[in-house]
Order: sequence, then C-alpha cells, then structure tokens
Amino acid sequence: MLCQHCQQREAIVHLSITENEKHREVYLCEPCAKQNQEIGFVFHPAIVPEFLKALFGFNPSLIKQPSEATCPKCGMTFSKITQVGKLGCSTCYETFETQLEPLLRRVHGGGQNMGKIPARRGIGIKSHRELGKLKEKLQLLIQEEVFEEAAVVRDQIRQLEPLKGENSHDA
Amino acid sequence: MMHKELLLQHSVWMTETDSPVVVSSRVRLARNLEAFPFPHVLSEEGAVQVEQLVSQVLTGIEGNIGLRYISLTELNNVEQQVLIEKHLISPGLGASTGARGVALAPDHRYAVMVNEEDHVRIQVLLPGHQLAETYRLATQLDDALEDKLDFAYRESQGYLTACPTNVGTGLRASVMVHLPGLVIMKQVQQVLGALTRLGLDVRGLYGEGSQASGHMFQVSNQITLGKSEEDILTHLEAVTGQIVEHELQARELLQVQTPRLLEDKVWRARGTLQNARLLSSEDAMHLLSYYRLGSDIGLLPKIQDCFASLMVDTRSGCLQYILDRELDPGQRDEERAKLVRSRTKQG
Repeated sequence: MLCQHCQQREAIVHLSITENEKHREVYLCEPCAKQNQEIGFVFHPAIVPEFLKALFGFNPSLIKQPSEATCPKCGMTFSKITQVGKLGCSTCYETFETQLEPLLRRVHGGGQNMGKIPARRGIGIKSHRELGKLKEKLQLLIQEEVFEEAAVVRDQIRQLEPLKGENSHDA
Repeated sequence: MMHKELLLQHSVWMTETDSPVVVSSRVRLARNLEAFPFPHVLSEEGAVQVEQLVSQVLTGIEGNIGLRYISLTELNNVEQQVLIEKHLISPGLGASTGARGVALAPDHRYAVMVNEEDHVRIQVLLPGHQLAETYRLATQLDDALEDKLDFAYRESQGYLTACPTNVGTGLRASVMVHLPGLVIMKQVQQVLGALTRLGLDVRGLYGEGSQASGHMFQVSNQITLGKSEEDILTHLEAVTGQIVEHELQARELLQVQTPRLLEDKVWRARGTLQNARLLSSEDAMHLLSYYRLGSDIGLLPKIQDCFASLMVDTRSGCLQYILDRELDPGQRDEERAKLVRSRTKQG
C-alpha cells in the first residue's frame, strides 16, 4: 500500500486514530510518519538491538513505560535489559516479571519451571510441586468416580499440606 | 600439577568410542549466586569475591573428582586458546577481562567456568553418545556445589540466569556429530535444517557463528524453561539417533552409488596427510574428516591416535603450546604437517 501522505513510498506505519468518537485509519511511509505533527509520532528505529528484536519479537510498548521501574538490587531498567539482552541480577526476574513474561513465552514456548529443584533450599518447593500434582490427580479420580483411590490421594494431600510453609515460593 | 601438565592432559572426550557419528556428549548447567549481580554488571571487587567463593568450594569438593582451579588472568593468550580449542572454556570467557577462570578435572571431564555469562557454568564432556551419564555427573557436581552455595532460584522460573534464553533448568545439552556422508550427499541442510523446528539448535565446531569445519556439527536444545531435564535429554537423544541413522544411510549410499569416488577421496586424504610438507589448519580438519570417514567404514586402516585429539592438536593454539614456541602462520603450516605425518601412522 502507498503512503497516504506522499503517495510515493510504501506505507510501513499503520495508525489507528480515534478522535471525538470518530475513528480513522492512516497508512504512512517512514519519512512522512516522522514529519506527522498531527499525531506527535516519534520514530526510533534503532532503539533495540537486532538481537533482541529477533529473539523476543520486539514490542515497542514494552519499553515505553511512563516512569521506568528500576531493579532495587542492581539498578537495571527494562530498557537497559532489552538493549544488552541480559538481566542484571536474580531480583530483576521479580522486578520485571510482567514485562519478561511474554519474552519468556516467545523464547521457551510458555510453561512454568518443570526442572530440577535444589535439594537444600527447595524442600518447600518440592512439596508444593508434589501437592499440585496430587491435586490434579484427585480431580481426575473424582471425575472418573474412582473414589477409593481418590480417598488415598486426599490423605496424601492432607499429609503434605502442613509442609507447604513459607519456603514454598522462592528459594 | 603445573598448568602446562594439566592443559596438555588427554581430554577424555577425545577418546575413540564405537560410536562412528557422535564424537562427544556435553552438558552445561548455568547457575548464579543469589547474593551477587550477574557478571556483566558485577563490580571488579564483586567478581573477585565470586571467584574466591566459588573456586574454594570447587576445589574443596569431597570425592575423587580432583578439580583444580585456574584463574584466566594467570594464563597467556596461547594457553587461553588451548582451553578454547579443547572445548574447556568458551571463546567468551577468553575474550572477557577481570576475575574469571575454570576448574578442571585431570581428564577434563569436568570444566567449571567461573564468571562467564553466569557466575558458575558446570560443564561435563564425555566421548561418544552418552548424554544421560554426562547429565548424571553434572547434576551430581551441581548438588555438591548447591550444598555450599546459595544459587538464585525461583519456583516459577527455576534457576535464574543472566540471559533469559538459559533460565529454568539452565541446561544446555549438546552432541558433537561428524557428518561427512550427509555433507558429501548434500543432504546436511535438509536434515539439520529441520532441527530448529524441533526446538534444537545447530552450530559449528566452536559454537555460535563458527564454521562447521571437519564436517563437525554441534546439536543442542534451545528451550530450557517449561520442560524437565529428563524431557530435554530424551528429546535430544531421540533426534541424535535420527541424525546418526541419516548419516549412516548416506555413507551406505555413497559406498553403493559412487564407491570409486569415495575410495579416491579417503585415500587421497590419507596420502596428503601422510606426505604433505605444509598443511593449513582448515586443510587438516577437512582431510582428517575424510580419513576418519574412511577408517569408520573400513576403507582405511585405523590410526594409532584419536582423530578428535589430532583435530584439536593441529589448531594453532594447541600446536604452539605442544611445541612450546610461538610460530608464524608459515611455520605453523610446516609444523602441523610434521605433527600429522608422525601421528597418522597405521595402528
């Protein structure tokens, strides 16, 4: 599609504008988009390295936060993380959990950690994961009306439940 | 044991096995200390503290693994090059600066990098196709370290790593495969190209961006989160089995369809290796690959040496280190040819 403004170059920017309850679509080429004062459009083509764009399917809205959060432990911001392609410390995973979620899904295809649990520091996590599995099993057994076996699983759940202590989330 | 003695030890992964296609199996676990920022934002002092802490634990591990810690700041460029060529450290660790190093077992089956992209990178490297055993050793060492060190871990995201591509299990399992049959039959793109769609990654001999010299390729898992270690290893095992089958089929086809051409290729390689007076590094890799193929399919007699060891020892870093002197590129080609002549005698 040609740029609606210059009618010469290929349109690469698609804008959807709603003003006074009226909606319109605008298709512009890059130079015209830059010059378009009406919508205050600012174009930063090189804001993120190609690496992350390709790896995470870059979404500009992810880094345009009104007031950017900073990791309390290492001082990293999410813009910085996307620039260098690395997180600053383990706390960054907590600080930027929401922004990281789509990136992790894109890289790993979604899903929670299913891997090894550290022996010394992960006792609570181990029982928490075991509990989750047993609860799923219990639901299935109830659906299938295998009540005797369901009662055994229920007892196993009761036994594990007190272990689900304060260590159940982060090691 | 001095550095030199340790560096020149025979690396166990280079040992010949009865696996004609899978040269070696490798497992790497990425771990970080909870109390410190990741290495790329760590202060100089912080890096020294991490190095001290981790190296002390590594060298104090009970049992028979006998790890010895080498700080990279103590090594010259050639020594660092030797470690890279033997696959004991990454090129990235060599290129970076500051407090960093590697703990090595005497037979190099364990190589634990400190302050690479992550604080701790446990590597286990064994010969042939034995991913399960490789992982068993790695996770055992991980347990021993975890007993003394607090690794960064969250229930939902697993082991936390500097790069989000490693988070979760922190596990990168890989096999090094020798695929001359598929390369000659021009099927390698077709076979390996499909792997990316299966969540696997294919690289050249020396990792990211490197060439597949000597018809050697590394196949590894891409996904580290949302799957268990067992699932990751089983998947890679299964795919490796398929690659092996394709390679063996290609070799059979070559023997049936163009036996003379194949014979000529491998005998020529042997002739050149045993007689050349100048040999470039790439030539050596290429010809040794054909010699290995010839030997695998019974066209050529076995050699006394291991092919993997010859391929590594003819790289420029190892060559200079073995001869204990710096060589210009011309001298290297001459010395390489000499080394290959003496080590490709019939076994």
